[in-house]
Amino acid sequence: MKHLKSLNKKAQLINKAISPEEVEDVVAMQTVVGCTATTDPGWELDPFGGLGSLCQPMESDLYGCADACWWPAQVPDTMNTYPDWNKDVAKANEDWRKLDGIYEDGE
Amino acid sequence: MALNNNRLKRVLMGTGALALAGLLSPAALATDAQEIIRDRCLACHTESSDAANSTFSRISDQRKTPEGWHMTLNRMEHLRDAKISAQEKRELIKYLSDTQGLAPEEAAPFRYLLEQDTNLVESGVDENLMQMCARCHSAARFGLQRRTLDEWQMLVDFHMAQFPGIELHAGSRDRPWYQLAHNETSAQLSEQYPLDTPEWNNWSKAKKVDLKGRWRVTGYVPGKGEFSAWMTAATDDDGRYNLKLEGNYADGAVIEGSGKATVYTGYEWRGTLTIDSVKMRQVMAADKDGQVMAGRMFLAMEDEIGGELRAVKDTGKAQVVAVMPSYLKAGESAELVIVGQNLDGDIDLGDGVRIDEVIARSKDRIVVTATATGTPAVNDVQVGSADSTVALAVFDQVARVDVTPTNAVTRIGGNGGEMEKVRATYRAIGYSAGADGEAGTDDDVRLGYMPASWSIEPVDEVAEHDKDHLYAGEITPAGMFIPGDAGPNPERKMSANNVGRLNVVATVDDGDSKVEGRGSMLVSVPDFVERVLD
Repeated sequence: MKHLKSLNKKAQLINKAISPEEVEDVVAMQTVVGCTATTDPGWELDPFGGLGSLCQPMESDLYGCADACWWPAQVPDTMNTYPDWNKDVAKANEDWRKLDGIYEDGE
Repeated sequence: MALNNNRLKRVLMGTGALALAGLLSPAALATDAQEIIRDRCLACHTESSDAANSTFSRISDQRKTPEGWHMTLNRMEHLRDAKISAQEKRELIKYLSDTQGLAPEEAAPFRYLLEQDTNLVESGVDENLMQMCARCHSAARFGLQRRTLDEWQMLVDFHMAQFPGIELHAGSRDRPWYQLAHNETSAQLSEQYPLDTPEWNNWSKAKKVDLKGRWRVTGYVPGKGEFSAWMTAATDDDGRYNLKLEGNYADGAVIEGSGKATVYTGYEWRGTLTIDSVKMRQVMAADKDGQVMAGRMFLAMEDEIGGELRAVKDTGKAQVVAVMPSYLKAGESAELVIVGQNLDGDIDLGDGVRIDEVIARSKDRIVVTATATGTPAVNDVQVGSADSTVALAVFDQVARVDVTPTNAVTRIGGNGGEMEKVRATYRAIGYSAGADGEAGTDDDVRLGYMPASWSIEPVDEVAEHDKDHLYAGEITPAGMFIPGDAGPNPERKMSANNVGRLNVVATVDDGDSKVEGRGSMLVSVPDFVERVLD
């Protein structure tokens, strides 16, 4: 790492982390029920418990970040489970208002 | 205050399955339900039978809550193309959770998820299960299931096939995740949550108490306040309970509603009522004697918005069930409402509490003005010879204020988009310092919910720099947090969403002093996947 220079905020944050163990501790942290603790990248929180390293705004690269099934409990997995979830929203940053939720028959 | 958040889709798409399931006689239900399984499920599952009973492959090797079976059936419809009518689905949920449910002790640690009370950080989760399973969804989701080893392994396999990205996350890609999950985590789960347990063995054989009758109910509705009411549960022709609820909020305003309820597994109460024109749901667990039920009531369209609910059956016995508020400041007077049933005789609020006036009195509700003339104490609330475990805390000073929920997530929404805002409601709980005179120690005395004024602040320097407190939302005087609008915000750096990390601050007035408490709030992006259980 000593020959690499951190260029963006996320890389700087990683450099600031004192040790790999410390990063592990944060990664394994528990979150409020309904949030994901998968934070590489994260949906609700970044690996440091903040928002600075999230894909923001989330609409700008939603499909790249969600990567078809990266957070299947929060963003519909379009690989297997809900392939048509975003079929009418080619550009999330323009048509984000059309993105709807999956409402399981939950009454 | 408008309680509705207009999350209409959930209601329109929902069938009310859990509250609407009929209560046929157990034998008829079992025969019918097994026939439904034969008709609808045996294209994939197989039946084995001996003289005593039938078993069905996979199905018979699992136990779940009503909500858990509901999710299973949803998945079978969505992913396996099962064709099941709404009525058949209700019958199956009822039958499966009655015959392959969870014992009260088994569900007890995870009731928050059943009650949809999810603004909390789960505690006591095994580190390995946290990393392997609960990093995507709650630990309660699997904690509310019981399976054989084979079934836990097949659940792992399902995850691997359905969500292949699971191997690539941090915490997975640095180790052979699938092998560990299939071999070791499944074994751990089958030891921790096995199919056969003494608890279920006992509960499945226990005689179940019919929960019909008249219940003295106390609870809290956000924006309206604490209430006490009578709820009657009468058996309908279809076997469900018809519910009627009538009572008063603490300020005297009427609370009134009616609806239906179904009881699963002999103790899992699921009700749907329209109260003051708003559809609400009740999730409660009955105790083994069927005398007391406890849980939560919340908006059907917005399950984050709700409050605790408790029901005590009217058996003709005199009982005190609540006092509102549950505290009185030394040297001061206040109006107190004593709630109970069959109350008769002298009112006694303990040494050092003088009753100045009985403003109103009936068998189930007594309104008094009382003055605390003595020193701080926790007094029993007595009316005649009534049973009572209710206490009135006399205090001299509010030493500490806790904010509930301590940790919460809300989500941006609205702004013309499909996703509604996910809000949160807050309450402040006051404590006195207790005998050691020091706040924050084990002997602090819980006084109860207290009126508070509410504000938000950025959680740290980064949040302040990003002006989270200006963009992420606002809190109403009643403690309802309303997150910001969805969509990129050009005013923010990189057009970030109106997300933020905030503290929610409650300020309680205690005489001339003010006491603050804080809760942590994450204002996040939408959750696009809403399961029966998260």
